[in-house]
Amino acid sequence: MGELFPRKQVMGFVFSLILTAAALTVYFLHLSFAQGMAVLVITAFVQALLQLVVFMHAGETEDKWIIYGKVYFMIGVALITVFGTLLIFLWDM
Amino acid sequence: MKIDHSLPLEYSTKQNGLNIFGFWVFLAAEIMLFATLFTSYFTLEHRVGSGPSGAEIFEITPVLIETLVLLTSSFTIGLGVHAMRIGNKKAMMTFFMVTLLLGLTFLGFEIFEFVHYVHIGAGLQVSAFTAILLTTLGTHGAHVTFGLFWGTAILLQLKKRGLTPETANKSFIFSLYWHFLDVVWIFIFSFIYLKGMM
Repeated sequence: MGELFPRKQVMGFVFSLILTAAALTVYFLHLSFAQGMAVLVITAFVQALLQLVVFMHAGETEDKWIIYGKVYFMIGVALITVFGTLLIFLWDM
Repeated sequence: MKIDHSLPLEYSTKQNGLNIFGFWVFLAAEIMLFATLFTSYFTLEHRVGSGPSGAEIFEITPVLIETLVLLTSSFTIGLGVHAMRIGNKKAMMTFFMVTLLLGLTFLGFEIFEFVHYVHIGAGLQVSAFTAILLTTLGTHGAHVTFGLFWGTAILLQLKKRGLTPETANKSFIFSLYWHFLDVVWIFIFSFIYLKGMM
């Protein structure tokens, strides 16, 4: 039975639960908007990285840098889209 | 086809490696799909018109249940892939079934949530905010729904054909898809729900 629950994945799951609990602090504590957003950005991106490395086995094969490169490039394009639009439509720059 | 036994079954042929690589290309495009939805959400979230705002309609309990259910399903499908790699087909199929049941639970809560929103006057046509909220959540929910059918088909094929390089490859690719949906949900949970309730 133990061989079905590898340590790496169980630890990954526990850590993802801890990150979810950490993100919940913005709901239960009275943080400022900037502090709250900082907590959310950190917990969300660490959580995404955890899924990518532990559960999606992104770094296991020889093409690992192509996979990581592709994903990080798309995240970059995604962030440019989000913040570029916010700059124009919300922050009036 | 040449089978390389030094690699896990899902990577064991050239074609299998290429399939997995191709699926990562698809996932990269999916990142962009959800990025445009998040962009629109952040742009429109304060345009509530005469309708309710996020802070007024979001409730922590169902959202937290959905999050925990989806996180757990991501864990169980990870265990499924591990069971596949040690060649335990029975355990693998059990983990995949648990994953799909958790996915169904998630979807049940989400449908309940949508019905609740419409009921309290936050339907799709009420304001720019409700429109983009339900479109973003609905796109994720549609992906989960599609995943349930896909996962069921893969389970049937595993039962019929057993663990071959092809079925292992399809199962692994399905697990990538499922983990990706969990990642998208984490962002929905953080930047739509928690940010809205902050």
